Order: sequence, then structure tokens, then C-alpha cells
Amino acid sequence: MADFQAERHVKYFLRCLKTFLPSVYTPNDSNRMLLAYLCVSGLDLLGVLESKTTLEERKGYINWVYHCQLPSGGFRAFTGTDFGVENRTADNAGWDPANVPATFFALVLLLILGDDLARVKRTECLRWLPRVQRQDGSFGEVLGPQGEIGGGRDLRFCCFAAGTRYILRGTRGDIDTDIPDINVDRLASFIQACQTYDGGLSDTPLGEAHSGLTYCGIGALTFLYRTHSDQSHPIPKLLSPGTPEFESLVRWLVSRQTSELGEEESDDDEEEDEDENDETHALRLNIQGLTLDDKIFGLHALEPCRSIQWAGFNGRCNKLADTCYSFWNMATLLMLDRLALVDVELNRRYLLEKTQHIVGGFGKGVGETPDPLHSYFGMVSLAFQGEAGLQNTDPALCISSRAVERLQSLEWW
Amino acid sequence: MTGKYASDPEWASIEPIPLNDGSDSGALPLATIAYTDDYIEATSYLRAVMAANEMSDRALKLTEDIISMNPAHYTVWIYRAKILFALKKDLKEEFEWLNRVSLKYLKNYQIWQHREVIVSCRDQFPTLPDRELDFLMEMFAQDSKNYHVWKYRHWLVRHFKLWDLPREIEDVEALLKADVRNNSAWNHRFVLRFGPRGDDEPDAGMPNGGAMGADKGRLAVADEDVIDAELQYAQAKILLAPENRSPWSYARGVLRAAGRPLSEWKDFASKFVTEKKKHDAEDGEDEIEVEVKSSHAVEWLADVLAEQVSGSETDKSEAVKMLTLLKEKYDPIRKNYWDYRIKMLDSFAVPYGVSASA
Repeated sequence: MADFQAERHVKYFLRCLKTFLPSVYTPNDSNRMLLAYLCVSGLDLLGVLESKTTLEERKGYINWVYHCQLPSGGFRAFTGTDFGVENRTADNAGWDPANVPATFFALVLLLILGDDLARVKRTECLRWLPRVQRQDGSFGEVLGPQGEIGGGRDLRFCCFAAGTRYILRGTRGDIDTDIPDINVDRLASFIQACQTYDGGLSDTPLGEAHSGLTYCGIGALTFLYRTHSDQSHPIPKLLSPGTPEFESLVRWLVSRQTSELGEEESDDDEEEDEDENDETHALRLNIQGLTLDDKIFGLHALEPCRSIQWAGFNGRCNKLADTCYSFWNMATLLMLDRLALVDVELNRRYLLEKTQHIVGGFGKGVGETPDPLHSYFGMVSLAFQGEAGLQNTDPALCISSRAVERLQSLEWW
Repeated sequence: MTGKYASDPEWASIEPIPLNDGSDSGALPLATIAYTDDYIEATSYLRAVMAANEMSDRALKLTEDIISMNPAHYTVWIYRAKILFALKKDLKEEFEWLNRVSLKYLKNYQIWQHREVIVSCRDQFPTLPDRELDFLMEMFAQDSKNYHVWKYRHWLVRHFKLWDLPREIEDVEALLKADVRNNSAWNHRFVLRFGPRGDDEPDAGMPNGGAMGADKGRLAVADEDVIDAELQYAQAKILLAPENRSPWSYARGVLRAAGRPLSEWKDFASKFVTEKKKHDAEDGEDEIEVEVKSSHAVEWLADVLAEQVSGSETDKSEAVKMLTLLKEKYDPIRKNYWDYRIKMLDSFAVPYGVSASA
């Protein structure tokens, strides 16, 4: 059994943090706030953020995050859209907008770095949020040049809008009553309408169920109802054990665990086998006059499963395992208090023996090169199952419990 | 700067705005990327034309250049769309260009969002653009489960009301013929057959998606012929690959839409789970052995029996037997889940279909 290579992962994340990412990352330029969060939070999860970076460096990082804050509230996702405060007018502000996911990542990044959010334009940001919400309850990504909502209808935006509201509204109820809130009930209905016929959630109503988006939907609901005390918003069925909504979601999530890893050596054989099977079945079925019973009688009996050594998770039905889906599915199950229903040991072996990379970090699939996203989510998945050397991690905020404590120490919490 | 924009007379009037990564104000930039000189220069000009809110041909060309280097740039797409509309461009040309870019960046999300914005222009696209479905099939030839392309196709169906266009279901059938495990194609089939069609209906994934409990997923009016045909279709596909979860899930959705119970398929599922006598040579006794041809059939039977548990002890012991088969022999990865289901038999009947009174 391979071990968790903590030291190598520290080296990997330090390299990502302190040296330039190669130019092939240019298509990720607009995701710099996300990349920044992954690298810094990765080191925090490994428990070395304070020992491997100096106070000065952390102050510098905090300043960079604030450098991305817009005068009108919220954060941009990268500095590339910033054409300077001196050039900013009402007419062109739409080309340098606050970005919903980036705002959430900026806030958690500040918490991880030890900041007290004192420089966050809290009321401006809270005023901006309802303006990015659509009539149907969903959220967009940005406000465009005429204040119109840009970006697709997508549960990702719903999740990060709800997360931003959660962090900034807090629990003290100190928000001025003239600051409009988002429409919580409409958002919750939109999310529930995204549940598909097989139990998972899709990006929008009509789509195919997908683990990443299921995480976003349940994450958003968790943010909305976690600190919830008044009875005016009933707890959605998706969060209520025993309802068909909840139980079919759980079934869908546990069904994502798979031993189909897409390994090169065995892949070809398997596919050939499958094709052959399909073909033989097809031939058999083409024989005229066979009854349904005859056809089923002609099928092979299944062999009981041989012992399985590795099992990761896929993100959709009939897809292969992928490191990040260990996170998306397990985090969702953890939010539903149903993590115990999957085989965490097989998942651990999959991550440690199949996608953990020799130079540190995790790749997307078996034998693939590491990247910050899969490295971070691979580690968080292991943190959920108590891997030694990793900090406890909150599944919704997706930060260490140390950073969660910092959030709870803020004056509006 | 000495790049292609700095040396181009067309751009002489523009003062580029360099990247301000905050270093001057005490910031230590995070997630820095080793940009190429071309990207650094082009983005400096982009900031300048955006600051000037310029709607021009040269700005349009510049957006193409940026997109070729960073197709995920979220404001450049909005800016491009605004210029196209401001200059009243022929959007058919935009389409040709988009097709080329889409084939190059298969995983990109913004491209498809932009396509939706363009095709939404009723005056230029009063009906489905020519060859649009051919192009989508070309995309599916690269990746038949591309999430963004399927999302766009769902939108297209609603926008141009294509539910009954023969080509839609033909494409789905062709893709399922090529790969009966293509869950995206199964999902699209569900949209075509059961997706809400009215303009006033909420944009819901399942019929009656906004409703809760037993009404969720249920059609207001079900066409029983369509329901029966879809159930038969699912059965035929199950015979091709009995371990393929997609058609089993599809059938659950169909029954739910019709408001018909899971038990309707009890007989069908039972045919995959048969008992055989086996002679044990050692002790000379006959043993009953269960022969299973699909683990999903076992799961189906377990669900049907679980719904009936309030009825009889026999049903309960049969349900436990099915769940134990899954746990021990046919789906041990999920042994903890099957245990959970066994425990739930004692607490309450979970409505896995629609028949229960949730």
C-alpha cells in the first residue's frame, strides 16, 4: 500500500505558489483567483502555510487579493480586466466586473491567509449579490455593461453566490434592513428543479446529472440553511432524509463509485470484450420470433465480483473514475451526512496508488501529470477520510477547520 | 513594445494599458503565469479598447486574437457579442468562425454560451440555422458526451421547439447505436419525450420539476402509447448490455413521468434473477443457487419489495435477500449502502418509485 507523500505534495504546492505557472496555463488566466486559492489552501491543508511562507509573503498575497477587489464591491477573477481606477467610468465598468465565483474564492483565500476581512467592501458586495440573481432564482457570473446579467444559467454561480452571502451576512443579524437580500426560496426551487430523473443534479433543469454540479447545488442549499433559524424558509426535501428527493440523490451519489479507472493496459481488452458482447447479443436478438424470455434466457449469468482493490468515483453515469470526483461526490455525501455509505478504503487506494504523482500532487486519471485542481481535490477527499498529515476540512466552504474558526471569529459571526 | 500591434499603423492611435498586477502597491501576485509576449501585448490593447468602449472592426479582430490564446476570458466574449450587434455584423460569418474555434477548444464553456447569444437573435435566425445539427454531430464525433454541447442542444430544442423534429430522435438513436452506454444521449431522449414544452412552464428538467414529493417528475397528462413505446425501447437496449445502468434509470424516469409504479417491471426484472438447483457433490444435497443476469434487475426488485414492506414479512425477507445479493456478490463496492438499505427496511418504506404516498 502506497503512503500519502506529504513532503512531495508540499514541494508541489510550493512550486505552484512561488514560481510562474508555465505558459500552457494561459487559458486559465481568467481563473487566477481559483488557482491562487487551490495553491494556498493546499499548503494550509498540509499544515505548512505558516512555516513555508513568511508573514511578509502572506501580507503580500492578501494585498493582491484586495488589489482584485472592485470599488463597487465583489472581486474580479484576475487582474487582466483591470484598466485602472482613473480610466473607470459608468460606461466601461461592465468590462471589468466583479465575478461571482472569484468573489467567493477571494473571501475564503483571505480567511486562509489569516486576514480579518476588514478591507472587504461588505455592504457593497451584499448589495451587488441580488442584482446577479435572475427571476427564476438562478445566478449569473457577472453584471455586463448595461447591468444585464452575464454568464449561463449554472449551479456553479448559485453555489458561490450562496457561499458569499453566507460568509458576509454571518449570524449576528447586524445587516442594515435596507440592504436587500437574495431571494432564498427562489434559489432553493431552482436548485431542486435541477434534480434529474436519475437522482443527481444537472447544471440547469433539462441537463444530465453531474457530480460537480450536484456538489454546487447541495453546497448552495447547505449555505442557505446552515445558519438558518427562522421558520419562514422550510428545509428543502433534497436535504431531508427519507424523502424520495434525498434518497434518490444518495443512491445516485453512491453509484458514482467505480472500479473503471481507464487504465491503459486493461482498457483495450475490456472494450473489445464489451464490443464482442454487444455484437453477440445483437446477433442473437436479430433472430426472428424469439420471445423476451428466450432472449433473456440466452444472456450470460454474471460472475460474482472478484475482489476489487481500487475504486474511485466518476462524475456521470458510465464515465471513468477521475481524481476530482472523489471530492465532488464525497463532499456532497458528507454534507448530507451519508459519507459512511461509500468505500473510503478503496477510494484511498485509488488516489494513493493510481493518481498520486511521484513528483507530488495528483493527476486527473491514472498516470496523468499533476495540476493544482486535481492535486487539491485529491487531498481534500483524503482529508474527509482522516488521512494523517491533513487538516480537517469543511465540505461546503472547502477550507481547513482552522480557516473556518477564523470566519467564526469575525465580528459579524 | 515592439509586437504586432505596436508596429501596426491601424493601432497607432491606441495607447495600450499594461497589466497592473499590484506589485507597485505592495501586492505579491498569486498564480502568476509565464505569459507569452504576444498575450501580454494583445491583452494590453484589449484593456485600452475596452476602457474606451470601442465598437470597431479592429477591436473585433483583437477579440479573436485573445480568444485564440485564452478562450475562457469571460468579458472578451461579452465584448465581442456587443461589437457584433453594434456593427450589425452578418452573424452567419460569426458562425463559421465559431465552428472552427469550437472544434479547437473542445472543453470550453464560453464558446457555447456565446453561440446561444448569437442564435438567440430572432431577426437573423428566425429558424434553426442550416447545418446546425450536422455541426453538433461533428462535435459529438469528437466527444459524444461533451456536456457543453449537450446543454446547448437542449437549449436549441426549446428555443426552436424541436421536440418532434425527426432529426432529433434520429441523432439520439444513432449515438445510442454507437454506444448504448452514452448516458448523455439517454438524457436527451428523456428531454425530447418528456421535457416541458410550454412557454409558460418553468424550465424544469423533469416534468413538473418544481413540484415536490410524489408529483415531482410526473406529467400532467401522459400519452400512454409514448410511455409504453419508451419502456419497450429501454428493455430492448437493456438486453444488449444488461449491466448498463442508463436504460434502467431511464425506465424509472419514464414510469415516474407516467405516474406508474416500479412494480410494473417486477416481472421483467425477475427474469434476470432466477433460482437454480445445484447438486453439491460433497454432501450430496441439492442447493438453491440464484443466477443473476443484471445487478440492476436485483436492485429494481429490491426497490419494488421495499415499497411493499409495510405489507408482509415475506416481502421484507425477499427484499433483504436481494439487497444481500448486491452487498455480497454483485455490487460489493457499495456494501455499506446496501446495508443502509437493509436497515431502512425496518424504519420506513422509502418511495423509490412514485407509488408511495410521499
